[in-house]
Amino acid sequence: MAVRTPRQVGEDVWKTRIEKVNAELVTLTYGSVVAQLCKDFRNDYVQVNEQLESMGYNIGIRLIEDFLARTNSERCRSFKDTAEMISKVGFKIFLNITPAILNWSQDNKQFSLIFDENPLADFVELPDDGKAVNELWYSNILCGVLRGALEMVQLQVEAEFVSDVLRGDDATEMKVTLVRVLEDEMPVGDE
Amino acid sequence: MTIYSFWIFDRHCECIYHKDFKRPQRVLRPPTLASTTGDTKENAQQQQKRVVSSGGPPKGTGPLTVDDEAKLVFGVVFSLRNMVTKLAGDRESFFAFKTSKYKLHFFETQTNLRFVMVTDVRVEGIRPILEQIYAGLYVEYVVKNPLSPPEHPGGEGVNNELFSLGLDRFLTPLEIFE
Amino acid sequence: MRGVGTGHVDSSLHRGVTASAQALISSAVDTSSLSCYSDFASLLITMSKMQSSSRASSDKLSLRSSAPSSVLAPRRATIYDRNVNRRAPDLALSAFAFLFSEMVQYSQKNVKGVQEMENKLSAYGYHVGQRVLELSAIREIKNAKRETRVLGLLQFINTTIWKAIFGKPADALEKSKDQEDEYMIIDNDPISNKYISVPKDMPSLDCASFQAGVIEAVMDGCQFPARVTAHSVPTDLHPLKTVFLVKLDPLVLERERYMR
Repeated sequence: MAVRTPRQVGEDVWKTRIEKVNAELVTLTYGSVVAQLCKDFRNDYVQVNEQLESMGYNIGIRLIEDFLARTNSERCRSFKDTAEMISKVGFKIFLNITPAILNWSQDNKQFSLIFDENPLADFVELPDDGKAVNELWYSNILCGVLRGALEMVQLQVEAEFVSDVLRGDDATEMKVTLVRVLEDEMPVGDE
Repeated sequence: MTIYSFWIFDRHCECIYHKDFKRPQRVLRPPTLASTTGDTKENAQQQQKRVVSSGGPPKGTGPLTVDDEAKLVFGVVFSLRNMVTKLAGDRESFFAFKTSKYKLHFFETQTNLRFVMVTDVRVEGIRPILEQIYAGLYVEYVVKNPLSPPEHPGGEGVNNELFSLGLDRFLTPLEIFE
Repeated sequence: MRGVGTGHVDSSLHRGVTASAQALISSAVDTSSLSCYSDFASLLITMSKMQSSSRASSDKLSLRSSAPSSVLAPRRATIYDRNVNRRAPDLALSAFAFLFSEMVQYSQKNVKGVQEMENKLSAYGYHVGQRVLELSAIREIKNAKRETRVLGLLQFINTTIWKAIFGKPADALEKSKDQEDEYMIIDNDPISNKYISVPKDMPSLDCASFQAGVIEAVMDGCQFPARVTAHSVPTDLHPLKTVFLVKLDPLVLERERYMR
């Protein structure tokens, strides 16, 4: 059988193996989460960003299992392959989008995901308190999701948004950087 | 054909789920003097430390607690898997090994979740069964269960009703389960 | 106009939906199409009546229109220019399931008991319900009709609202035999409970409190204040079956009697 591209895998899994739900349910529910956090942290958006990232991390730890169980994908051979899998399969089968991969660094350890569409932020406007547009990364949960999911497959990464159309930027861009490949953990007391 | 036991270990090398099947040899340790005198928590812990008196893999010489047995099972599969990787390369793993008394089947996900099933020697090729337990039961009832934490220190959140029942319902009708 | 744009939405996030209604309405008014106008007029009335009570009023109300900022700074097409009738393509159920998991985990922190946790989940649902109600009101603009009786509103929730968010109507709507002020909306397979195995130390916990919050927001928003709670009533056929008990505020009952 011919090797299928990540795009084909993503499309195929999305069409045949994914139970769907109304996007507005997810959009509005995510909105309620961000709104609740803004309340809980009294509009300290730096803390809200951190909390969103950490919730995303927990989601990533779970989500990767669902991803692997549904796609039966092989281990990626390079970080480039990983980027393809994230965009064409990962984002496709959960959020039905395929962010573009751009801006590879020379050492191939950093790339950007450009989001033309972002279901989490559909019909969202940041609070106009003069602060949120500079401080809040509304979709920061996605950074955590990538960090958590990739850590589970032994890739330690850092992910952060560098621009967001919600803030008036031209594009929504997330930078993903490979920190290191993790070793398997050893049993306690074993050397 | 028979299944003796089933184990799940997580990426932190901790046993997060364990179930015995068809193990009449496993008996509760008779309560000691200390545990009969009131402290219920200690008592409960004692009760949990069931021991293997005879038979069943791995065959020990003395009483073996579940914790000890988990460590042994994990030690074996971890060493074997590492050895196979060293000999045959990163993408290689082992599927099973057998002794004269039992057979141990192994399936590891890319997230370093390790599924182990110990059966009698005649059981063949149950890797698809382990994969189904992962994809159909573990992911659906443990990973997606909002009340289970993302990770499972001490097995927290794995041994829930849906997963346990699901596992029973899935395994009981199988040919290998008799 | 201000009443529409700022209605019962709190000042922070997701104001977009309301605001786009405003944009939609302004543009329609500008074109001075008479028939259109009367439709919108009825909507205005409907929506201005949607001042919600209880929890909504504790949210900060924004009385500021968002129009000025778009006048001052030249901006590209905003969310107000977008068509609210366009429905975004579906997402994976798992995306919701994982998000909901984290909401539950977050709600579990620092709570004293099951009740408090259910209240927190209900608050998330309330936020969603407020917006779904508005969205439905705008989308159903052609058949805009103000529900003035309890049963009509409950049917609206049971069908239109449920379909709009969960993709199917609820399974039943019943009136309590014993209590005049109690109604039940029944979902045999609520999305929030799909993967839930309730731990033995919290047997009464029902994560469908989330949907209870949605219902409560719609009831409140339509001037039928009520308290809504979720109760799991598993059957062999529908192990996840959940009853949403709608307990009406005495004022609503009084009005019902008056209208009869």
